[in-house]
Amino acid sequence: MTPPKQELESVVPDLREVPLDRLAELGDSVLAHAIAMYRQRLKDIGVPLSAFNSSI
Amino acid sequence: MITVHRLPEDAFTALANGEGDPVVVRHLREAQHSKHLMLLHAVAETVDSTDLASLEVAAFWAGYRLLARIQAFSPGAAAWLLGLPHFGSWAHDCLIRLDRGLPPDFGYLACAAAAAAVRRGVRFELDAPVRDGGVMLPGLGFLRVTGQDAWVRLRSDGERLAVGEHIDVPCTALVPDEGSGGPVPQWRGTPLVRAVADGHTWVVLLETADRHLDRYALPMLAAMTADEVASWRHRIQSAWQVLVRHHGWAAGPLADGVCVIVPLTSRSGLDSATSPAAFGAIATSWPPSPVILAETLVHEFQHLKLCCLTDMLPLIELCDEKTYAPWREDPRPAGGLLQGVYAHLGIARFWDAQRHAETRPDGILRAQVMYERWRATIEMAASALLRTGSLTPAGVRFVTMLRQYGQRLGSESVPAAARQIVREAALDHWLTWQFRHTALDAAGVAGLVDAYQRGASPGDRTLLETWIEADTRTINSTARSRLLNMRYLEPQRHRHLCAEGMPGLSKADSLLVSGKREHGGAGIPRRNHRLRAAA
Repeated sequence: MTPPKQELESVVPDLREVPLDRLAELGDSVLAHAIAMYRQRLKDIGVPLSAFNSSI
Repeated sequence: MITVHRLPEDAFTALANGEGDPVVVRHLREAQHSKHLMLLHAVAETVDSTDLASLEVAAFWAGYRLLARIQAFSPGAAAWLLGLPHFGSWAHDCLIRLDRGLPPDFGYLACAAAAAAVRRGVRFELDAPVRDGGVMLPGLGFLRVTGQDAWVRLRSDGERLAVGEHIDVPCTALVPDEGSGGPVPQWRGTPLVRAVADGHTWVVLLETADRHLDRYALPMLAAMTADEVASWRHRIQSAWQVLVRHHGWAAGPLADGVCVIVPLTSRSGLDSATSPAAFGAIATSWPPSPVILAETLVHEFQHLKLCCLTDMLPLIELCDEKTYAPWREDPRPAGGLLQGVYAHLGIARFWDAQRHAETRPDGILRAQVMYERWRATIEMAASALLRTGSLTPAGVRFVTMLRQYGQRLGSESVPAAARQIVREAALDHWLTWQFRHTALDAAGVAGLVDAYQRGASPGDRTLLETWIEADTRTINSTARSRLLNMRYLEPQRHRHLCAEGMPGLSKADSLLVSGKREHGGAGIPRRNHRLRAAA
């Protein structure tokens, strides 16, 4: 018997099957929590760029 | 009830090794799709749906409703739009501007939804903002509009698009410019490159018009001429051949994950960048060769993968401590160090393969040195990261696996001459950085000097307290560092300068850079020996 595939649970809500006009009905859910986390991250780290100058 | 995206353990391992097959990249893209929906919802929550007197707000909701209709009618067409880096950048910018109390570009959503509708042949009618003399259709191109109005009505029956009163074009003509079609009045299709090598195809847009992708440290190259577009097409095609023929591990995932290149204005050297707001887009100035573009693509795609992974799984916590990074002149925070070491894992893997693909002696030397230089940094940087204590449990696992992969990249097959160049270039970088950024306790130094002058024992004061500062001393080592690196980056020029006696360098540096390091000590004044001993 094949052991179950291990998976890591992310913090991104799976919205692929959610119609746009239903998003507002999700209310205080994992979506609201994920948005709050994301916005906090933006405030903490700003908008980082990864720039690399090859001239070392 | 909604769930969250899940990442298989083997995908996490593949990413830690710098890899990621199409299945892994699909996981990342799907997470970005959801993230963009999440950001769209976050923006929508801030837009007052009753404030229809505002044209921006009205355009936002018209775009939102149209996108919802497209999603219901053709999920694939909506997914195409939501997967574009243009869309992620716009949503991200809206949130940033809202947080800063600035007006967001709400009207862009009308343009974005119109692009998806035109592409899929969906009937619609809405007002769109006119910017820079036209209407942007993200992912497709730019429609020039005559007149001075700030807004224009777009109407489509699914087959033709009417823009205001004067423009009427078939929707099927509003496509990116592959360089083969005839001109369409008022339309400037976004240049599209279809690179093909050994049966493998990569389709990528050259974006120089969408202001939301003009987000990098250097400005986006604006209004490319036909010759410039042709040059970029040719260079991308050649780089794709390099990737497909010698770097199969990177080529497939790159083609699945990168759909936009943003050409940047050039400074003196090559600059490239990515942004966590724009998954799928790589920005770069003009690359000097196909091999360097191939390396740049591998390097920047590493950043994109890691940005996406950190969206899904936080790997690092906030930490103020900054430390040495072998590829930067400034002290880096843990997050920057993680991005850097991950990029250099990809770079080391690239040059590992490339050193066997090069045929000219100078090319082989460059590849050998680049491989050895960046391979060796993985262990140093990964160990430093693990010591910071700022990694989450997932971050510790990720960096540990990354480090183990780096340990498996051996140096036995690198010739001694190349290893010597690496040692000298790496030491020069590290020492310069230490002099520039390591601050010493001044009172402790004075005490040591005093003890030395009195001939007394320093006792337990030999280890002074040190800390990292942005710029604690001015060190002018640019010429020496540049020439040390020139030995493998531009060997021909280095030989020419050697023949001229290395003008502008001190005697000691000149001997070092010329490969006569055993004589270099003779060029160092005695007082410097004493200073070095004191340090």
